[in-house]
Amino acid sequence: MIPVGRRNLQGNHACAYAAIAAGCRFYAGYPITPSSEIAEKMSLELPRVQGVFVQMEDEIASMGAVIGASLGGVKAMTATSGPGFSLKQENLGYAAMVEVPCVIIDVMRGGPSTGMPTRPAQGDLMQARWGTHGDHPIVVVTPASVGEIYTETVRAFDLAERLRTPVIVLYDETVGHLVETVDVPDLSDVTSAQRKWASGPKETFLPYADPGDGVPEMVRPGDGYRCHTTGLTHGENGFPTQRPAEVEEMTRRLLGKLERHRDVIDRFETVRTGDAHIVVVAVGIAARAARRAVVEARAKGIAAGLFRPITLWPFPEAAFREVVAGADAVLVVEMNAGQLALEIERLVGRRGKVARLNRISGEPIGPDEILANIEELARHGHR
Amino acid sequence: MTGETGRVGGDRQIRFSGSGGQGLQLSARILAEAALHDGWSVAHSQGYEPTSRGGLSRSDLVLSRGVIDYPLVTSLDVLVILDDVGATASTSLLTHRSLVIVDAERVTEPPLGPWTVQRLACTATARRLGNERTANVVCLGALLALTPVCTVDSLTAALRDEVSAKLIDLNLEALAAGRALISQTAGVATPAAAPAAP
Amino acid sequence: MDTASANDFDIRDYLRVELLPHFMCPGCGHGIALRALLWAVHDLKLAKDRLAIVSGIGCSGRVGAYIDANTFHVTHGRPLAFATGLALARPDLEVIVITGDGDCLAIGGNHLIHACRRNLHLTCLMFNNEIYGMTGGQVSPTTADDRLTTTTPYGNAEPSFDACALAAAAGASFVGRGMTLQTVALKNLIRDAISHRGFSFVEVISDCTEIFGRKNDLGSSPEMILRQKGSMKPDTYGNVVDRPFRPNAVQTGVLARNDRPEYGDAYRAAVLGAAGAAVAG
Repeated sequence: MIPVGRRNLQGNHACAYAAIAAGCRFYAGYPITPSSEIAEKMSLELPRVQGVFVQMEDEIASMGAVIGASLGGVKAMTATSGPGFSLKQENLGYAAMVEVPCVIIDVMRGGPSTGMPTRPAQGDLMQARWGTHGDHPIVVVTPASVGEIYTETVRAFDLAERLRTPVIVLYDETVGHLVETVDVPDLSDVTSAQRKWASGPKETFLPYADPGDGVPEMVRPGDGYRCHTTGLTHGENGFPTQRPAEVEEMTRRLLGKLERHRDVIDRFETVRTGDAHIVVVAVGIAARAARRAVVEARAKGIAAGLFRPITLWPFPEAAFREVVAGADAVLVVEMNAGQLALEIERLVGRRGKVARLNRISGEPIGPDEILANIEELARHGHR
Repeated sequence: MTGETGRVGGDRQIRFSGSGGQGLQLSARILAEAALHDGWSVAHSQGYEPTSRGGLSRSDLVLSRGVIDYPLVTSLDVLVILDDVGATASTSLLTHRSLVIVDAERVTEPPLGPWTVQRLACTATARRLGNERTANVVCLGALLALTPVCTVDSLTAALRDEVSAKLIDLNLEALAAGRALISQTAGVATPAAAPAAP
Repeated sequence: MDTASANDFDIRDYLRVELLPHFMCPGCGHGIALRALLWAVHDLKLAKDRLAIVSGIGCSGRVGAYIDANTFHVTHGRPLAFATGLALARPDLEVIVITGDGDCLAIGGNHLIHACRRNLHLTCLMFNNEIYGMTGGQVSPTTADDRLTTTTPYGNAEPSFDACALAAAAGASFVGRGMTLQTVALKNLIRDAISHRGFSFVEVISDCTEIFGRKNDLGSSPEMILRQKGSMKPDTYGNVVDRPFRPNAVQTGVLARNDRPEYGDAYRAAVLGAAGAAVAG
């Protein structure tokens, strides 16, 4: 049964409970370390709420089945790690193109390839944004604690439904396997949106018409609309088109959809950035180490702050630009060879120094190491 | 879930280490549940290896009366070592304030340094009780007597929740035997006759 | 009975007529296969609102768009995976997969064998034209020995799959094969496949006149179809496990059938039942 109240909970279990609380009633997956606890928990809990769990023959089929279930009108999710995430990319692109709400959990382990299945990494930050081919919308959230895995998984379903888009919940193995004391909310306190269903006259209904907010109403099989759904570039009527003007309009709406809803998408946390000269940027377990490092730096008289994107993609640009406006150095801390740093360098431009602290050994980056890097920047005049 | 605090004075960092299959994860889970019951916030992480038997295994707890900002151990208050395979892996996390509890039989070379080392007959005691595999619970009893992070009642309740009904009596006996190991030695830890930390 | 149903069957009742003319080449067998499917749907009096067509990529994948139903044109080789999710989530729908020899047996082969094993109530129609037509005529897993394709310019050296033998060996609870020449028999076979409770696999022997036929000097569409007829033996099936590759003579009709438990029913009875009991208890 889904626990409620103050308790010790594993990150991956929190993810499963949150999904069910958000209304997920279909899970398809394939075993992979370090995400398998999510599938195991879903296989136990989903039948108790009359939901369906299915272990598919491979990662590709899991993603396909999730999209199929969501096309049927049921909130659906899958979970995986790097190698499986790679395999899911084609169908993920289909979900983005066809605008199917679904949630994909990627628990990051060491890579590339089989890499280190039981070791933490943050090597999928760019894959989460650009893993599938072609220009496409995608929302990626990056929780840093067990409690936040819960709240962000709920929010992932909310965003997926509201925006008709796949949402990826991306966290490292450390946070996924971490057990922390959290307060699990009562189910009745959890709210998650439901997609807009097709309405109005059936004869003239256009399944991909923009109703004004960039998010078309979704057809539910059996409701009488009998529409066509295709991964081919399609017009408002859902059928394939190659007419340039129509293609351009459709693709612009698809890509612009997220920009129009930044108010619900953007989420971040700042720690003492108000007067910070050195801003640390990090996600996941690295951000929790950075938080302590920033506090310790302050105790040493260094004006350091932390900017932690909770929504990683689209990157919360506006807030970040504001935070770094008064800073003269940014330290990007990540458990990869330098991915988020590329985005930060783009946003900071020539206005300040961007330093990097990377770790690719399969170990988390500790607070002391981050503090040492902050102090090094401070010694070079970035106080 | 996180707050703006550095290492709080009242925080505790505890590591259980040894060989996979010795019940280290179970020990940490039981202590984590007991600590939760007694009002601590808990962060429990583990060395997660592809093999579940025989290799190096570790399980870490950070306990705080406030909010845990960073959930991984950085400096150990207590290090438990139940097998030689875990003897040297954690030395960099020890300070002069650390307490190192080692199994007298299965750890032949405890880490040497300015910390306190307590050699305890956990395995021998467990064997005497009839099941060597309860050495982890014997050790838990000893740990509780040395550093009372939670109440005996909470630990007993957590043990009852985690251990199957047919093994509970044996485990309760092991817990009591572990506590008795410390009262026998009057809770006095043995300073290691050792050179300075590497 | 067939005459009666033929009399009141108007294919236009089941087509998105506004999309016509269709994309298929002159002589392509897929149009006849589509007619047989819609005729079967008509015979079964299936409500179009409850009908879901899931198709993959290739010429076969494009056929679904013409059906006035809930139609889903998904990724290459994956229609069975999508259909599995859809049918599990919505057991009230009648889900029919249209796939091709490349889509189903090459890129989607893993999904086929596991769909057969799982035995979820789905109908899988594999339109077999022995070629990747949409991409210009490359060799497929069912291309016969020695045939010329754009990627076997010296003749095909690979043996070809017998898809029905594969499906039966993997546990499909209904396996059949029909050909476009015998439209009524094909319609009846598809009708029985849809009616069957469980996973049904039907291989439809189609023909690709424009690309495959031309490349191999097989003549016009009627000539190709008559040649198919000559190689067919409408009798009972042999030992499928001993004949994994397509023999020279292939059988039509119902080739394998059993009544083992349908997966959706089994899941709802066993898993949901047990979990419900656990909750109640």
